[in-house]
Order: sequence, then structure tokens, then C-alpha cells
Amino acid sequence: MLENGKTRGRGGRAAPDLLALLTKRREILLLAVLAALALGVSLRVPGYLKNNYMNILKGGAINMVMAAGMLPVLLIGSIDISVASTLAFAGSVAGMLMRDGYVGSTLAMILIGIGVGALVGALNGALVAWGRVLPIIVTLGMSYVARAMIPMDWLLGLNKIARIHLTDSFKVFFIDRYFIGLPYLVWSAVIVTALTGLFLRYTRTGRSIYAVGSNESAALVRGVRADGVKTLAHAICGAAAGLAGVLWLGYYNSIEKSTAAGDEMYVIAACVLGGVAVTGGYGKITGVAIGAVMIAMINSAIPQLKIGNAMITEFVKGLLLLGAILLNAALRRLARRRELIGRRV
Amino acid sequence: MGKQAARALKGLFRWETMLLAVLVLMCAVFDRRDAARQAAGLSKKDVFNLAVVVKGLRPYMLYGFMTLGVMLILAMGDIDISVGASAALSVAVMGVVYQSATVSGLRAESALALALLSCLATGGLCGAANGFLVTRFKELFAMIITLATQLFYRGIAYLLLGGKTLTFKNDVTFDSLKRLYDTVQIGGVSVPVMLIALMAAAAVYAVWIHGTPGGRRIFALGTNAKATFYSGVRTDRVKFGLFTLCGLTSAATGVFFVGATSSSIRADAMMGYEMYAIAAAVLGGFSTSGGKGSVIGVALSLVIFGVMKIGLGTLYGFVDSMVNLSVGVILIISTLLPNLISGAGEAIRLNRRRARANVSYQA
Repeated sequence: MLENGKTRGRGGRAAPDLLALLTKRREILLLAVLAALALGVSLRVPGYLKNNYMNILKGGAINMVMAAGMLPVLLIGSIDISVASTLAFAGSVAGMLMRDGYVGSTLAMILIGIGVGALVGALNGALVAWGRVLPIIVTLGMSYVARAMIPMDWLLGLNKIARIHLTDSFKVFFIDRYFIGLPYLVWSAVIVTALTGLFLRYTRTGRSIYAVGSNESAALVRGVRADGVKTLAHAICGAAAGLAGVLWLGYYNSIEKSTAAGDEMYVIAACVLGGVAVTGGYGKITGVAIGAVMIAMINSAIPQLKIGNAMITEFVKGLLLLGAILLNAALRRLARRRELIGRRV
Repeated sequence: MGKQAARALKGLFRWETMLLAVLVLMCAVFDRRDAARQAAGLSKKDVFNLAVVVKGLRPYMLYGFMTLGVMLILAMGDIDISVGASAALSVAVMGVVYQSATVSGLRAESALALALLSCLATGGLCGAANGFLVTRFKELFAMIITLATQLFYRGIAYLLLGGKTLTFKNDVTFDSLKRLYDTVQIGGVSVPVMLIALMAAAAVYAVWIHGTPGGRRIFALGTNAKATFYSGVRTDRVKFGLFTLCGLTSAATGVFFVGATSSSIRADAMMGYEMYAIAAAVLGGFSTSGGKGSVIGVALSLVIFGVMKIGLGTLYGFVDSMVNLSVGVILIISTLLPNLISGAGEAIRLNRRRARANVSYQA
């Protein structure tokens, strides 16, 4: 929509072009904010980035994986607030299988996590698509259900998975094994991000996700099976959350029923910071990645700044998210107004 | 005749009737289980009767006030997930104001009055900020705005209190808040003060939103915002007002929460209350797409959640997580069921119309 507006404008004026560029390539603004944040922190804590980049990447990896999964769901105009519970559930299932000796290899763990998560997600998706229940209700209910299944006697009966329950090769796999200077944990996040991005951009199904999100009836007329696409998007989100569960187990080496409670908000926050429209149809994986890094950086930087008490992180996150969405809306409005002014009648 | 029967059947299938039936059925099942347990000698005394249940409802009424606020937001077709955070912030402000007022030498009673006032004012402000943002930035979902303000409000509460717990030990005046968690004797049953207050508030709400033009506007707004706007309702003002009211009700929840938890105030209090409130409102018949629901349904669903938790916990030995599971399943089924029923009805009607069209075509 805005892209067309740019060609119709009179051109020559720098301001609207910059504005159009900023609204079209939202990542530039995000990167600028990210750079400003890093610079500001570095001024107070010399050598901050050099000493902490690994912590930022490690700390943000799990959130990034979940956010990459959340993107398709937001793109179809839906939402999933059960991701944190799915993480805990899938992680528990995988951890229990390892504890009881059914599974030994890390690859199997990853596959189990993805599989369990995808099942939960697909159930969400089916209820949304065919049951016509509102996504927030379905996933709110599912977040109760998935978390409640963990400690139940006749299901998992799990109290806690701890270090001693895990095999040695699994414990070192994500954190201590490196490839080109980065641990496998970070690489998993990179791979998931890249795969999601490529899938959404270059495959037919990926484009259908955008189509269903921007105009469902038009997509239906074009022959897109909207219900199937919706279910798939939710299944992807669940699979990512399930993988995040295994990553959690690999990073923290423990999991229990209250693991990651409330983290779904930070996943959605990463997407929203990254400029994904919750109305569906608009959003890019690059934005989401920058959003996730931003949240990870705040998490690591604020305690080191030593301003106020240690709890100031929550405040800064809230402020930043609020600022980002309002700025986003304001920019879009401004661009629209310029576009209308510049239009030749 | 067929039409009348259909109407009667429809009345029977009203959501509130179903909820009442569920409540009665649940009580009956729990009561039989209780009797069986007594007969088998598993428990010495009657653990499921009116007196026990009414008294035991207390903890489940805490988020009731919040639910009254949230349900109106749902009726407009919006959602507010910042209520738990704004309640926590209001309570934090209340604690800080009370502390600094007493330290600065104000009399304890007036300090408490000031603290309560500032608590309500904070809640109202939080709600008003949500309302302002939602009405000024219409292109953003209320869900996203309140997601951000939730983090923000909770963050301010953390800033005010840090990780500490604020308590007022042996402070008689502040401890008077505990009386909100007391019970009063009515006909041999000790009824929680909170339950009475909540039901009174619910009655006021019921008259307001079902019986007055101002209240009906809320549902009109939720059904078709544009049509409501063009019929002369200041939709933005209604929206702003309701968000402010929602903030006030969450501050009220906060006051009761302080009473219930022996006057201890923490920044991470009431985590997840917004989800309970939304769950109760949705089970009560409100939908996040707006335009429907009734106060009676919400009151019933609050009682149902309470009775279910008491019954499953004491009679069946269900742990917390099992109860949460049931809440989740009920939430999904209670929204899935009406959809499936209306979907099936639609299909039958379509089939019949098709059959009729075929007959006339052949003739």
C-alpha cells in the first residue's frame, strides 16, 4: 500500500523519502535504536558489548526460537499465548524420556521436543480453524492444560528434571560445543530463524500465510485452504516452542512445571517490537530477530548499569515496548498523511 | 405450536440456564461423593455442605471485582490484560503512601484513608491510560497496548517496592483491612464479606448494563462499533470510561487482596489474575469478539470455578494443577460448544432450504 504511495509522490523532497524508507524498512529504525542502546550502555559500562555479547546471544536464543514460531501465527492474525506452557510441557516430556532411559541421543531429544510441541500447536490450530473458537481463548485454555499435565500422576507425574537426569553428552551439547565461535544453542536459534524466514518468503505455503492474514476471503477465492494454513501456522509455533523446551533443558539443565511462566509476553513483545502487525498480514523475520536481540540486551544490560534497583528491567522493557508500538503507529500515520498530500488528483 | 416449542427450547438452552444446570449437577455429584466418603469412613465429618462451600469461596472471589471490569471491556470487543499489573501497582502505591504518610506523622486513620484513595486513583489512572491509548491509536489492538502497559505498570510497581515485601506489623489501623476477609453470620452460615460485596456490585452492574440505555450501548458498541457511532453514541468516550472503570475495579481487587494476604504487599502480587478474570468472564458468556454476555452468567461462573476448586480439591484429592487443567478444558469447551451447535444448526437449515428449492424446481 505504502510502496505504491512512494511512486506517486512528487519526489525530490528528502523528508517524505526518508519517512517512506523508515516505514517500509522498519528494521533500519530498529537497528538504530539497538545501536543507541548498545552505545548508551557502553558509555557507562566500558567494554560492555565485548564482554557480554555471548551472554546476550545465549540469553536471547530461546526467546528467539519461540518468537520465530510466533511470527506465522501473528501473520495469520491469530495469537498463541500458550507457548511458554508448551515449552515446559515438551521439555518435560523429552526430559522424562531421557531420565527413564528411553532416549539417549540429543537429536532424538530435539525431534521429540519438536513433535510434542507441534502436536500441541496443531490442536490449537484445529480448534481455531475448524472449531471457530477465538485464538486467545483456545490458547489461554491450552496454557492451563499443557502446564497442568506436567505434574499429574497418571500423565507425567513429574516433579522436576534436574542435572542428574540428563546424559553427559546432552548437557554439553548446546552450551559447550562450538561451531565458528558460537555455541550450538545460538546456532539452533539462527537455523530456526533462517528456516522460518526462507519458508515465509520463498515457499507457496509461506506466501499463503501472508495471504490468509491480509485478506482471508480473497485468499479463499484464490484457492488457498485457509483452515489448513491456520492449523499449520499454529503447528509451527508449537513446534518452535517444543524445540525451545529442549533448548531450555540443554541451557539450564532443569525443567519443572512453573518453568518459563509468563514468558509468552516477551515472545509476543519481541514480535511487536520487530514491527509485526498483530492484525495479520505484515511482519518480517528480520524485525523479529532484532526485537529478540533487543529484549535480550535489555535483560543483560540493565542490571550492569546499576540504576535504581535490580527490578528496573521490567520497567524499561515495558517502556520500550510501549514506545515502539506507539512510534510505529505514529510513523505509519505520518507516512500515510504525506502520501495523501503528495498524491496527484 | 412448533415455533412456541422452539422458543421454549431456546430459553432452556440459554447460557445462564446451562451454567445453573452445571452448577446444580456439580453440587449434586460432589454431595453424593461426600456422603459416600462418609459412609465408607474416609472422612469423619461432612466436608461438602452449604456452610463449608460458602465460607470456602473466599479465595476465589478475589478476582471477582476485576472480572466485573474485564467483562465490560470484552463486551465492547476489546480486551484488557493489564488488570493484574494495575492492581499490583495500585496496591504498591497504597503501601508506599501509607508508609510515608505515617512516617511523616499523619494520624493513622487519615493515612489509611489517603492510602486507599491513592490506590483507587492509581487504578483509575492506569485504566484511563489504557483507555486513552486505545481510543487514540485505533489501529493498534487493545491486546497489544495492554500487553505493553502491563509490563510498564508491573515495572513501576517493581521500581517502587524492589524485590521486597512491604508489611505493616502490629499496625492496628492498617490491619483493619483484614476485616474485608472476615465472615458475617447470616442464618447460621458464615458468609464472607467479600462475597456479599461482590454480589452487591454484580447486582448494580446487572441493572446498569442490562437495564439502562447507557449499559445497552456497551453491547451495541461491541456488536457494531460503526453503526453505534453513527447512531449518535460517543463511542470513544464510552470506551475511555469503561477502561477507567476497569482500572478502578482492579484497584478494588487489590484492596481485597491486601486484606486477604495479611496486609503484605509485593510487586509480583496478583500475577496471572487477568487470565482468571478473562476465563471467568468468558465462561460467563462474554466473548472476546464482543456484543454478548450477562452479569448473571459471570456471577454463576465465578461461583462454579470456586465450587469446582473446593470440590475437586477436598473430595477427590485433586491437586492444583488438575483443577487448572479442568479450568482450561472447560474454557475451551464452553466456547467450542456453542460454535458447534450454531454451526450444526446452520448446516441443517441450509440443507432444508436446499431440499425445498429442489422440490419447487422439480414441480
